[in-house]
Amino acid sequence: MFHINASLFSKTKTLESKIDLFHDKLLDAAMTFKRAVQIFLNESRSDAYRKLSKQIKQIEHDADGLRRDIENNLYSHNLIPDLRADVLQLVENLDRIINKFDEVTYKFYAERPEIPTEYHGRINELCNLSSECAENTARASRAFFRDLSAVRDYSQKVYFIEHESDISTHRLNEAIFDSDLPLANKLQLSGFINEIADIADIAEDFIDALLIFAIKRDI
Amino acid sequence: MDLSFFFFLSSGLFLGWSLGASDASNIFGTAVGTKMVRFRTAALISSIFIIIGAVYAGSGASQTLGHLGSINTLPGAFMSALAAALTIYWMVLASMPISTSQAIVGAIIGWNFFADKPTDISVLSQIIGTWIFCPILSGIIAVLLYVTVRFLFRMAHIHLLRQDCYTRAGLIIAGAFGAYALGANNIANVMGVFVAAAPLHEVDFGFGIVLSGTQVLFLIGGIAISVGVATYSQKVMRTVGSSIMKMSPLIAWVVVVSQSLVLFLFASQNLKHFLVEHHLPSLPLVPVSSSQAVIGALIGIGLARSGKTLHWDILGKIALSWITTPIIAAGVCYISLFFLQNVFGQTVYLP
Repeated sequence: MFHINASLFSKTKTLESKIDLFHDKLLDAAMTFKRAVQIFLNESRSDAYRKLSKQIKQIEHDADGLRRDIENNLYSHNLIPDLRADVLQLVENLDRIINKFDEVTYKFYAERPEIPTEYHGRINELCNLSSECAENTARASRAFFRDLSAVRDYSQKVYFIEHESDISTHRLNEAIFDSDLPLANKLQLSGFINEIADIADIAEDFIDALLIFAIKRDI
Repeated sequence: MDLSFFFFLSSGLFLGWSLGASDASNIFGTAVGTKMVRFRTAALISSIFIIIGAVYAGSGASQTLGHLGSINTLPGAFMSALAAALTIYWMVLASMPISTSQAIVGAIIGWNFFADKPTDISVLSQIIGTWIFCPILSGIIAVLLYVTVRFLFRMAHIHLLRQDCYTRAGLIIAGAFGAYALGANNIANVMGVFVAAAPLHEVDFGFGIVLSGTQVLFLIGGIAISVGVATYSQKVMRTVGSSIMKMSPLIAWVVVVSQSLVLFLFASQNLKHFLVEHHLPSLPLVPVSSSQAVIGALIGIGLARSGKTLHWDILGKIALSWITTPIIAAGVCYISLFFLQNVFGQTVYLP
Protein backbone atom coordinates (compact mmCIF):
# COMPACT_ATOMS: atom_id res chain seq x y z
CA MET A 1 0.00 0.00 0.00
CA PHE A 2 2.44 2.66 1.13
CA HIS A 3 5.47 3.63 -0.93
CA ILE A 4 7.56 3.54 2.20
CA ASN A 5 8.41 0.00 3.05
CA ALA A 6 11.41 -2.09 3.92
CA SER A 7 11.96 -3.22 0.34
CA LEU A 8 12.20 0.38 -0.86
CA PHE A 9 14.91 1.05 1.73
CA SER A 10 16.82 -2.07 0.66
CA LYS A 11 16.45 -1.15 -3.05
CA THR A 12 17.74 2.31 -2.24
CA LYS A 13 20.75 0.80 -0.51
CA THR A 14 21.47 -1.46 -3.49
CA LEU A 15 21.22 1.46 -5.88
CA GLU A 16 23.49 3.56 -3.65
CA SER A 17 26.20 0.91 -3.90
CA LYS A 18 25.72 0.68 -7.70
CA ILE A 19 26.23 4.43 -8.02
CA ASP A 20 29.36 4.15 -5.87
CA LEU A 21 30.59 1.28 -8.01
CA PHE A 22 29.97 3.33 -11.16
CA HIS A 23 32.21 6.08 -9.80
CA ASP A 24 34.82 3.46 -8.93
CA LYS A 25 34.78 2.37 -12.58
CA LEU A 26 35.68 5.89 -13.71
CA LEU A 27 38.56 6.02 -11.22
CA ASP A 28 39.74 2.58 -12.39
CA ALA A 29 39.54 3.64 -16.03
CA ALA A 30 41.55 6.81 -15.35
CA MET A 31 44.31 5.02 -13.45
CA THR A 32 44.52 2.14 -15.95
CA PHE A 33 44.69 4.60 -18.84
CA LYS A 34 47.59 6.44 -17.23
CA ARG A 35 49.46 3.19 -16.76
CA ALA A 36 48.60 1.94 -20.28
CA VAL A 37 49.95 5.06 -22.05
CA GLN A 38 53.14 4.86 -19.98
CA ILE A 39 53.62 1.28 -21.11
CA PHE A 40 52.80 2.16 -24.74
CA LEU A 41 55.41 4.91 -24.73
CA ASN A 42 58.03 2.50 -23.36
CA GLU A 43 57.08 -0.77 -25.08
CA SER A 44 54.66 0.18 -27.89
CA ARG A 45 51.93 -2.48 -28.47
CA SER A 46 53.29 -5.06 -26.04
CA ASP A 47 51.42 -7.84 -24.23
CA ALA A 48 51.31 -5.67 -21.12
CA TYR A 49 49.64 -2.88 -23.13
CA ARG A 50 47.18 -5.34 -24.71
CA LYS A 51 46.26 -6.57 -21.23
CA LEU A 52 45.61 -3.05 -19.96
CA SER A 53 43.68 -2.18 -23.09
CA LYS A 54 41.43 -5.21 -22.51
CA GLN A 55 41.09 -4.20 -18.87
CA ILE A 56 39.79 -0.76 -19.89
CA LYS A 57 37.41 -2.40 -22.38
CA GLN A 58 36.07 -4.55 -19.53
CA ILE A 59 35.71 -1.51 -17.25
CA GLU A 60 33.78 0.27 -20.01
CA HIS A 61 31.55 -2.77 -20.48
CA ASP A 62 30.86 -3.07 -16.73
CA ALA A 63 30.15 0.67 -16.50
CA ASP A 64 27.60 0.40 -19.32
CA GLY A 65 25.82 -2.37 -17.42
CA LEU A 66 25.82 -0.34 -14.22
CA ARG A 67 24.55 2.73 -16.04
CA ARG A 68 21.60 0.78 -17.45
CA ASP A 69 20.86 -0.72 -14.01
CA ILE A 70 20.94 2.70 -12.34
CA GLU A 71 18.67 4.24 -14.98
CA ASN A 72 16.18 1.35 -14.84
CA ASN A 73 16.06 1.36 -11.05
CA LEU A 74 15.56 5.11 -10.82
CA TYR A 75 12.56 4.92 -13.12
CA SER A 76 11.03 1.60 -12.11
CA HIS A 77 11.07 2.46 -8.38
CA ASN A 78 10.15 6.11 -8.98
CA LEU A 79 13.14 7.34 -6.95
CA ILE A 80 14.19 11.02 -6.56
CA PRO A 81 11.44 12.21 -8.95
CA ASP A 82 12.55 15.84 -8.72
CA LEU A 83 16.23 15.17 -9.52
CA ARG A 84 15.97 11.98 -11.57
CA ALA A 85 16.55 13.66 -14.93
CA ASP A 86 19.65 15.41 -13.55
CA VAL A 87 21.08 12.20 -12.13
CA LEU A 88 20.46 10.37 -15.40
CA GLN A 89 22.30 13.10 -17.27
CA LEU A 90 25.20 12.91 -14.81
CA VAL A 91 25.49 9.14 -15.21
CA GLU A 92 25.33 9.40 -19.02
CA ASN A 93 28.06 12.07 -19.05
CA LEU A 94 30.32 10.11 -16.70
CA ASP A 95 29.91 7.15 -19.01
CA ARG A 96 31.07 9.33 -21.91
CA ILE A 97 34.38 9.91 -20.09
CA ILE A 98 34.87 6.17 -19.55
CA ASN A 99 34.02 5.54 -23.21
CA LYS A 100 36.62 8.12 -24.23
CA PHE A 101 39.32 6.36 -22.19
CA ASP A 102 38.45 3.12 -23.99
CA GLU A 103 38.38 4.82 -27.39
CA VAL A 104 41.82 6.45 -26.97
CA THR A 105 43.40 3.29 -25.57
CA TYR A 106 42.06 1.28 -28.51
CA LYS A 107 43.23 3.95 -30.96
CA PHE A 108 46.80 3.60 -29.60
CA TYR A 109 46.46 -0.17 -29.98
CA ALA A 110 45.05 -0.09 -33.51
CA GLU A 111 47.10 2.74 -35.06
CA ARG A 112 50.39 2.13 -33.21
CA PRO A 113 51.62 5.73 -33.65
CA GLU A 114 55.35 6.26 -33.70
CA ILE A 115 56.09 8.82 -31.01
CA PRO A 116 59.58 10.33 -30.96
CA THR A 117 61.24 10.03 -27.53
CA GLU A 118 61.46 13.79 -27.03
CA TYR A 119 57.67 13.99 -26.77
CA HIS A 120 57.25 11.12 -24.31
CA GLY A 121 57.57 13.30 -21.23
CA ARG A 122 55.00 15.85 -22.40
CA ILE A 123 52.53 13.21 -23.64
CA ASN A 124 52.87 11.47 -20.30
CA GLU A 125 52.19 14.75 -18.56
CA LEU A 126 49.10 15.37 -20.74
CA CYS A 127 47.80 11.87 -19.97
CA ASN A 128 48.33 12.47 -16.27
CA LEU A 129 46.44 15.76 -16.45
CA SER A 130 43.50 14.21 -18.32
CA SER A 131 43.37 11.29 -15.90
CA GLU A 132 43.54 13.61 -12.92
CA CYS A 133 40.69 15.62 -14.41
CA ALA A 134 38.60 12.45 -14.72
CA GLU A 135 39.50 11.35 -11.18
CA ASN A 136 38.44 14.68 -9.70
CA THR A 137 35.27 14.57 -11.80
CA ALA A 138 34.43 11.21 -10.22
CA ARG A 139 35.06 12.69 -6.75
CA ALA A 140 32.93 15.75 -7.49
CA SER A 141 30.12 13.57 -8.78
CA ARG A 142 30.32 11.30 -5.73
CA ALA A 143 30.20 14.39 -3.52
CA PHE A 144 27.01 15.48 -5.32
CA PHE A 145 25.31 12.45 -3.84
CA ARG A 146 26.74 12.66 -0.31
CA ASP A 147 28.48 15.93 0.50
CA LEU A 148 27.37 18.95 -1.52
CA SER A 149 29.89 21.31 0.05
CA ALA A 150 32.77 19.28 -1.43
CA VAL A 151 31.40 19.50 -5.00
CA ARG A 152 32.78 23.01 -5.42
CA ASP A 153 36.26 22.04 -4.19
CA TYR A 154 36.66 19.17 -6.66
CA SER A 155 35.06 21.19 -9.45
CA GLN A 156 37.62 23.93 -8.96
CA LYS A 157 40.39 21.34 -9.26
CA VAL A 158 38.91 20.05 -12.53
CA TYR A 159 38.76 23.57 -13.96
CA PHE A 160 42.36 24.23 -12.97
CA ILE A 161 43.69 20.94 -14.35
CA GLU A 162 41.69 21.27 -17.58
CA HIS A 163 43.29 24.68 -18.14
CA GLU A 164 46.72 23.13 -17.58
CA SER A 165 45.89 20.39 -20.06
CA ASP A 166 44.87 22.99 -22.66
CA ILE A 167 48.23 24.75 -22.26
CA SER A 168 50.07 21.43 -22.47
CA THR A 169 48.10 20.45 -25.62
CA HIS A 170 48.90 23.72 -27.38
CA ARG A 171 52.61 23.46 -26.58
CA LEU A 172 52.75 19.87 -27.75
CA ASN A 173 50.93 20.63 -31.00
CA GLU A 174 53.21 23.62 -31.67
CA ALA A 175 56.32 21.52 -30.96
CA ILE A 176 55.13 18.72 -33.26
CA PHE A 177 54.27 21.01 -36.17
CA ASP A 178 57.60 22.85 -35.72
CA SER A 179 59.49 19.53 -35.99
CA ASP A 180 60.89 17.82 -39.12
CA LEU A 181 58.51 14.89 -38.92
CA PRO A 182 56.59 14.01 -42.09
CA LEU A 183 53.21 15.75 -42.28
CA ALA A 184 51.32 12.45 -41.98
CA ASN A 185 53.05 11.72 -38.66
CA LYS A 186 52.44 15.26 -37.45
CA LEU A 187 48.71 14.96 -38.20
CA GLN A 188 48.49 11.55 -36.60
CA LEU A 189 50.28 12.69 -33.43
CA SER A 190 48.22 15.87 -33.25
CA GLY A 191 45.06 13.75 -33.53
CA PHE A 192 46.18 11.63 -30.59
CA ILE A 193 47.05 14.64 -28.48
CA ASN A 194 43.66 16.21 -29.17
CA GLU A 195 41.90 12.95 -28.31
CA ILE A 196 43.71 12.79 -24.95
CA ALA A 197 42.88 16.46 -24.29
CA ASP A 198 39.23 15.74 -25.13
CA ILE A 199 38.99 13.66 -21.94
CA ALA A 200 39.66 16.78 -19.85
CA ASP A 201 37.24 18.81 -22.00
CA ILE A 202 34.42 16.30 -21.47
CA ALA A 203 35.20 16.35 -17.74
CA GLU A 204 34.95 20.13 -17.75
CA ASP A 205 31.55 20.03 -19.51
CA PHE A 206 30.41 17.51 -16.93
CA ILE A 207 31.43 19.82 -14.08
CA ASP A 208 29.56 22.76 -15.65
CA ALA A 209 26.34 20.73 -15.55
CA LEU A 210 27.12 19.29 -12.10
CA LEU A 211 27.43 22.74 -10.52
CA ILE A 212 23.99 23.70 -11.84
CA PHE A 213 22.51 20.45 -10.54
CA ALA A 214 24.16 21.08 -7.16
CA ILE A 215 22.38 24.45 -6.89
CA LYS A 216 19.08 22.69 -7.62
CA ARG A 217 19.85 19.94 -5.11
CA ASP A 218 20.69 22.36 -2.31
CA ILE A 219 17.38 22.90 -0.48
CA MET B 1 -34.93 13.88 13.85
CA ASP B 2 -36.71 14.53 10.52
CA LEU B 3 -35.32 14.56 7.00
CA SER B 4 -35.35 18.36 6.86
CA PHE B 5 -32.31 18.26 9.16
CA PHE B 6 -30.28 16.64 6.37
CA PHE B 7 -31.62 19.13 3.84
CA PHE B 8 -30.49 22.05 6.01
CA LEU B 9 -27.19 20.31 6.71
CA SER B 10 -26.54 19.99 2.97
CA SER B 11 -24.98 23.47 2.70
CA GLY B 12 -22.49 22.53 5.44
CA LEU B 13 -21.75 19.26 3.71
CA PHE B 14 -21.17 21.13 0.45
CA LEU B 15 -18.84 23.51 2.29
CA GLY B 16 -17.02 20.46 3.73
CA TRP B 17 -16.75 18.86 0.31
CA SER B 18 -15.23 22.00 -1.21
CA LEU B 19 -12.84 22.36 1.73
CA GLY B 20 -11.68 18.77 1.22
CA ALA B 21 -11.30 19.29 -2.52
CA SER B 22 -9.19 22.42 -2.14
CA ASP B 23 -7.39 22.34 1.23
CA ALA B 24 -6.12 18.75 1.05
CA SER B 25 -3.80 20.06 -1.66
CA ASN B 26 -2.09 22.18 1.00
CA ILE B 27 -1.15 18.99 2.83
CA PHE B 28 -0.26 16.52 0.09
CA GLY B 29 -0.21 18.71 -3.05
CA THR B 30 3.54 18.82 -3.55
CA ALA B 31 4.08 15.24 -2.47
CA VAL B 32 1.54 13.99 -5.03
CA GLY B 33 2.48 16.54 -7.71
CA THR B 34 6.16 15.57 -7.51
CA LYS B 35 5.18 11.87 -7.45
CA MET B 36 6.79 11.34 -4.05
CA VAL B 37 3.49 9.95 -2.72
CA ARG B 38 0.70 8.28 -4.72
CA PHE B 39 -2.66 10.03 -4.78
CA ARG B 40 -4.47 6.97 -3.36
CA THR B 41 -2.10 6.91 -0.37
CA ALA B 42 -2.49 10.66 0.15
CA ALA B 43 -6.31 10.52 -0.11
CA LEU B 44 -6.59 7.60 2.30
CA ILE B 45 -4.30 9.13 4.94
CA SER B 46 -5.95 12.55 4.59
CA SER B 47 -9.45 11.14 4.93
CA ILE B 48 -8.69 9.04 8.02
CA PHE B 49 -6.80 11.75 9.89
CA ILE B 50 -9.17 14.58 8.94
CA ILE B 51 -12.04 12.59 10.48
CA ILE B 52 -10.02 11.73 13.62
CA GLY B 53 -8.95 15.38 14.02
CA ALA B 54 -12.50 16.66 13.46
CA VAL B 55 -14.14 14.25 15.91
CA TYR B 56 -11.58 14.33 18.71
CA ALA B 57 -10.16 17.83 18.58
CA GLY B 58 -12.66 19.90 16.61
CA SER B 59 -14.62 21.42 19.44
CA GLY B 60 -12.06 24.06 20.52
CA ALA B 61 -12.17 26.26 17.43
CA SER B 62 -15.90 25.61 17.11
CA GLN B 63 -16.59 27.07 20.56
CA THR B 64 -14.87 30.32 19.57
CA LEU B 65 -17.17 30.62 16.54
CA GLY B 66 -20.08 29.92 18.90
CA HIS B 67 -19.02 32.90 21.06
CA LEU B 68 -19.04 35.09 17.95
CA GLY B 69 -22.62 34.17 17.11
CA SER B 70 -24.70 31.22 18.22
CA ILE B 71 -26.97 30.50 15.26
CA ASN B 72 -29.98 28.94 16.91
CA THR B 73 -32.13 27.57 14.03
CA LEU B 74 -31.32 25.07 11.30
CA PRO B 75 -32.54 27.31 8.41
CA GLY B 76 -30.31 30.09 9.77
CA ALA B 77 -27.32 27.73 9.95
CA PHE B 78 -28.13 26.41 6.47
CA MET B 79 -28.12 29.87 4.94
CA SER B 80 -24.97 30.96 6.79
CA ALA B 81 -23.05 27.94 5.49
CA LEU B 82 -24.49 28.46 1.98
CA ALA B 83 -23.54 32.15 2.01
CA ALA B 84 -20.00 31.18 2.97
CA ALA B 85 -19.88 28.53 0.23
CA LEU B 86 -21.17 30.97 -2.40
CA THR B 87 -18.65 33.59 -1.33
CA ILE B 88 -15.86 31.04 -1.67
CA TYR B 89 -17.13 30.08 -5.11
CA TRP B 90 -17.16 33.69 -6.32
CA MET B 91 -13.77 34.46 -4.81
CA VAL B 92 -12.30 31.39 -6.50
CA LEU B 93 -13.78 32.57 -9.81
CA ALA B 94 -12.08 35.93 -9.22
CA SER B 95 -8.76 34.07 -8.55
CA MET B 96 -8.53 35.55 -5.06
CA PRO B 97 -6.80 33.58 -2.29
CA ILE B 98 -9.71 32.31 -0.26
CA SER B 99 -10.15 31.28 3.34
CA THR B 100 -13.14 29.22 4.45
CA SER B 101 -12.64 30.61 7.98
CA GLN B 102 -13.03 34.20 6.81
CA ALA B 103 -16.13 33.38 4.77
CA ILE B 104 -17.87 31.61 7.66
CA VAL B 105 -16.99 34.35 10.15
CA GLY B 106 -18.45 36.91 7.72
CA ALA B 107 -21.62 34.81 7.36
CA ILE B 108 -22.01 34.55 11.16
CA ILE B 109 -21.70 38.32 11.47
CA GLY B 110 -24.30 38.65 8.71
CA TRP B 111 -26.64 36.43 10.74
CA ASN B 112 -25.93 38.50 13.89
CA PHE B 113 -26.92 41.66 12.04
CA PHE B 114 -30.07 40.08 10.64
CA ALA B 115 -31.09 38.57 13.97
CA ASP B 116 -30.19 41.83 15.70
CA LYS B 117 -27.83 40.00 18.02
CA PRO B 118 -24.68 41.71 19.31
CA THR B 119 -21.34 40.66 17.82
CA ASP B 120 -18.74 40.17 20.53
CA ILE B 121 -16.09 42.66 19.44
CA SER B 122 -13.41 41.15 21.68
CA VAL B 123 -13.93 37.70 20.08
CA LEU B 124 -14.04 39.25 16.61
CA SER B 125 -10.82 41.19 17.14
CA GLN B 126 -9.22 38.03 18.54
CA ILE B 127 -10.23 36.13 15.38
CA ILE B 128 -9.03 38.89 13.02
CA GLY B 129 -5.76 39.14 14.96
CA THR B 130 -5.33 35.41 14.45
CA TRP B 131 -5.79 35.69 10.69
CA ILE B 132 -2.93 38.18 10.52
CA PHE B 133 -0.80 36.24 13.00
CA CYS B 134 -1.36 32.84 11.33
CA PRO B 135 0.74 33.36 8.16
CA ILE B 136 3.37 35.26 10.18
CA LEU B 137 3.68 32.42 12.72
CA SER B 138 3.73 29.87 9.90
CA GLY B 139 6.52 31.85 8.22
CA ILE B 140 8.58 32.00 11.43
CA ILE B 141 8.18 28.25 12.04
CA ALA B 142 9.06 27.54 8.41
CA VAL B 143 12.25 29.62 8.59
CA LEU B 144 13.37 27.89 11.81
CA LEU B 145 12.61 24.45 10.38
CA TYR B 146 14.21 25.26 7.04
CA VAL B 147 17.45 26.51 8.60
CA THR B 148 17.61 23.52 10.98
CA VAL B 149 16.84 20.90 8.32
CA ARG B 150 19.32 22.42 5.88
CA PHE B 151 22.02 22.51 8.54
CA LEU B 152 21.35 18.90 9.60
CA PHE B 153 21.32 17.58 6.04
CA ARG B 154 24.54 19.40 5.23
CA MET B 155 26.24 18.06 8.35
CA ALA B 156 24.93 14.51 8.13
CA HIS B 157 26.18 13.86 4.55
CA ILE B 158 23.22 11.61 3.82
CA HIS B 159 23.19 10.00 0.39
CA LEU B 160 20.76 11.64 -2.04
CA LEU B 161 18.78 8.40 -2.44
CA ARG B 162 18.49 7.84 1.29
CA GLN B 163 17.48 11.47 1.74
CA ASP B 164 14.73 10.79 -0.82
CA CYS B 165 13.53 7.82 1.25
CA TYR B 166 13.50 9.81 4.50
CA THR B 167 11.71 12.69 2.77
CA ARG B 168 8.97 10.35 1.51
CA ALA B 169 8.46 8.97 5.01
CA GLY B 170 8.53 12.52 6.41
CA LEU B 171 5.97 13.73 3.86
CA ILE B 172 3.58 10.93 4.79
CA ILE B 173 3.95 11.50 8.55
CA ALA B 174 3.69 15.28 8.15
CA GLY B 175 0.71 14.79 5.84
CA ALA B 176 -1.07 12.65 8.44
CA PHE B 177 -0.38 15.29 11.11
CA GLY B 178 -1.47 18.03 8.69
CA ALA B 179 -4.73 16.21 7.94
CA TYR B 180 -5.40 15.76 11.68
CA ALA B 181 -4.71 19.47 12.31
CA LEU B 182 -6.88 20.48 9.32
CA GLY B 183 -9.76 18.36 10.61
CA ALA B 184 -9.36 19.70 14.14
CA ASN B 185 -9.12 23.33 13.11
CA ASN B 186 -11.34 23.63 10.05
CA ILE B 187 -14.29 21.43 11.05
CA ALA B 188 -15.53 24.51 12.88
CA ASN B 189 -15.88 26.24 9.50
CA VAL B 190 -17.93 23.41 8.09
CA MET B 191 -20.12 22.38 11.02
CA GLY B 192 -19.59 25.13 13.59
CA VAL B 193 -22.76 27.03 12.64
CA PHE B 194 -24.90 23.89 13.11
CA VAL B 195 -23.68 23.06 16.64
CA ALA B 196 -26.25 25.10 18.53
CA ALA B 197 -29.18 24.10 16.29
CA ALA B 198 -28.45 20.44 15.46
CA PRO B 199 -30.79 17.98 17.21
CA LEU B 200 -28.14 15.27 17.56
CA HIS B 201 -27.63 13.13 20.65
CA GLU B 202 -24.90 10.92 22.05
CA VAL B 203 -24.29 7.78 19.95
CA ASP B 204 -22.65 4.56 21.14
CA PHE B 205 -20.77 2.95 18.22
CA GLY B 206 -19.72 -0.06 20.31
CA PHE B 207 -16.14 -1.07 21.15
CA GLY B 208 -16.18 1.69 23.76
CA ILE B 209 -16.57 4.44 21.16
CA VAL B 210 -19.17 6.91 22.39
CA LEU B 211 -19.56 10.21 20.54
CA SER B 212 -21.46 13.23 21.80
CA GLY B 213 -24.03 14.97 19.55
CA THR B 214 -21.45 17.58 18.50
CA GLN B 215 -18.90 14.87 17.75
CA VAL B 216 -21.45 13.04 15.56
CA LEU B 217 -22.02 16.30 13.70
CA PHE B 218 -18.26 16.68 13.28
CA LEU B 219 -18.02 13.06 12.11
CA ILE B 220 -20.58 13.82 9.36
CA GLY B 221 -18.64 16.99 8.46
CA GLY B 222 -15.34 15.06 8.50
CA ILE B 223 -16.79 12.49 6.12
CA ALA B 224 -17.94 15.32 3.80
CA ILE B 225 -14.39 16.73 3.80
CA SER B 226 -12.99 13.24 3.11
CA VAL B 227 -15.39 12.77 0.19
CA GLY B 228 -14.10 16.10 -1.17
CA VAL B 229 -10.53 14.81 -0.82
CA ALA B 230 -11.30 11.49 -2.52
CA THR B 231 -13.44 12.82 -5.36
CA TYR B 232 -12.01 16.15 -6.40
CA SER B 233 -8.65 16.94 -4.81
CA GLN B 234 -6.50 14.91 -7.22
CA LYS B 235 -6.54 17.57 -9.95
CA VAL B 236 -5.83 20.36 -7.45
CA MET B 237 -2.98 18.37 -5.87
CA ARG B 238 -1.34 17.76 -9.24
CA THR B 239 -1.69 21.45 -10.15
CA VAL B 240 -0.25 22.61 -6.83
CA GLY B 241 2.63 20.15 -6.99
CA SER B 242 3.68 20.66 -10.54
CA SER B 243 2.93 24.19 -11.60
CA ILE B 244 2.08 26.76 -8.94
CA MET B 245 4.74 26.08 -6.33
CA LYS B 246 8.05 24.84 -7.66
CA MET B 247 9.89 23.50 -4.65
CA SER B 248 11.97 20.54 -3.64
CA PRO B 249 10.27 17.72 -1.68
CA LEU B 250 12.28 18.72 1.40
CA ILE B 251 10.99 22.30 1.26
CA ALA B 252 7.52 20.84 0.72
CA TRP B 253 7.99 18.90 3.95
CA VAL B 254 8.99 22.08 5.81
CA VAL B 255 5.92 23.87 4.44
CA VAL B 256 3.53 21.05 5.40
CA VAL B 257 4.96 20.75 8.93
CA SER B 258 4.84 24.54 9.49
CA GLN B 259 1.27 24.77 8.27
CA SER B 260 0.20 21.73 10.31
CA LEU B 261 1.83 23.08 13.47
CA VAL B 262 0.06 26.40 13.07
CA LEU B 263 -3.31 24.73 12.53
CA PHE B 264 -2.65 22.46 15.50
CA LEU B 265 -1.64 25.39 17.75
CA PHE B 266 -4.93 27.12 16.94
CA ALA B 267 -6.99 23.97 17.51
CA SER B 268 -5.53 21.97 20.40
CA GLN B 269 -7.45 22.35 23.65
CA ASN B 270 -4.95 20.14 25.48
CA LEU B 271 -2.06 22.34 24.45
CA LYS B 272 -3.96 25.46 25.46
CA HIS B 273 -4.76 23.97 28.89
CA PHE B 274 -1.13 22.95 29.32
CA LEU B 275 0.13 26.45 28.48
CA VAL B 276 -2.46 28.12 30.73
CA GLU B 277 -1.65 25.77 33.63
CA HIS B 278 2.04 26.62 33.32
CA HIS B 279 1.32 30.36 33.09
CA LEU B 280 2.62 30.51 29.52
CA PRO B 281 1.10 32.67 26.78
CA SER B 282 -1.52 30.64 24.92
CA LEU B 283 -3.12 31.01 21.53
CA PRO B 284 -6.87 31.41 20.98
CA LEU B 285 -8.64 28.39 19.46
CA VAL B 286 -9.76 29.83 16.16
CA PRO B 287 -10.29 28.28 12.71
CA VAL B 288 -7.51 29.60 10.47
CA SER B 289 -6.80 29.28 6.77
CA SER B 290 -4.49 26.44 5.78
CA SER B 291 -3.86 28.14 2.41
CA GLN B 292 -2.67 31.31 4.11
CA ALA B 293 -0.51 29.29 6.50
CA VAL B 294 1.11 27.66 3.44
CA ILE B 295 1.65 31.05 1.79
CA GLY B 296 3.15 32.36 5.06
CA ALA B 297 5.54 29.40 5.18
CA LEU B 298 6.57 29.88 1.55
CA ILE B 299 7.20 33.58 2.09
CA GLY B 300 9.29 32.74 5.18
CA ILE B 301 11.43 30.29 3.22
CA GLY B 302 11.65 32.69 0.31
CA LEU B 303 12.98 35.41 2.65
CA ALA B 304 15.43 32.98 4.27
CA ARG B 305 16.84 32.09 0.84
CA SER B 306 16.53 35.41 -1.01
CA GLY B 307 13.69 37.90 -0.99
CA LYS B 308 14.07 38.31 -4.76
CA THR B 309 12.12 35.15 -5.52
CA LEU B 310 9.02 36.38 -3.72
CA HIS B 311 5.84 37.60 -5.37
CA TRP B 312 4.90 40.50 -3.12
CA ASP B 313 1.63 40.99 -5.00
CA ILE B 314 0.40 37.75 -3.36
CA LEU B 315 0.77 39.43 0.03
CA GLY B 316 -1.39 42.30 -1.15
CA LYS B 317 -4.03 39.85 -2.39
CA ILE B 318 -4.09 38.07 0.99
CA ALA B 319 -4.49 41.33 2.88
CA LEU B 320 -7.29 42.32 0.52
CA SER B 321 -9.05 38.98 1.02
CA TRP B 322 -9.04 39.53 4.81
CA ILE B 323 -11.32 42.50 4.19
CA THR B 324 -13.35 41.46 1.15
CA THR B 325 -14.19 37.83 2.03
CA PRO B 326 -15.98 38.45 5.37
CA ILE B 327 -17.74 41.56 4.04
CA ILE B 328 -19.08 39.75 0.95
CA ALA B 329 -20.08 36.70 3.06
CA ALA B 330 -21.86 38.92 5.61
CA GLY B 331 -23.73 40.76 2.85
CA VAL B 332 -24.72 37.58 1.00
CA CYS B 333 -25.85 35.97 4.28
CA TYR B 334 -27.93 39.00 5.31
CA ILE B 335 -29.74 39.20 1.96
CA SER B 336 -30.27 35.42 1.73
CA LEU B 337 -31.67 35.26 5.28
CA PHE B 338 -34.13 38.00 4.33
CA PHE B 339 -35.38 35.90 1.40
CA LEU B 340 -35.44 32.66 3.39
CA GLN B 341 -37.52 34.30 6.10
CA ASN B 342 -39.86 36.43 4.02
CA VAL B 343 -40.23 34.40 0.81
CA PHE B 344 -39.94 30.82 2.09
CA GLY B 345 -41.38 31.53 5.54
CA GLN B 346 -38.56 29.85 7.48
CA THR B 347 -37.56 30.79 11.03
CA VAL B 348 -33.96 31.84 10.61
CA TYR B 349 -33.39 32.92 14.23
CA LEU B 350 -34.97 32.62 17.64
CA PRO B 351 -35.14 35.77 19.76
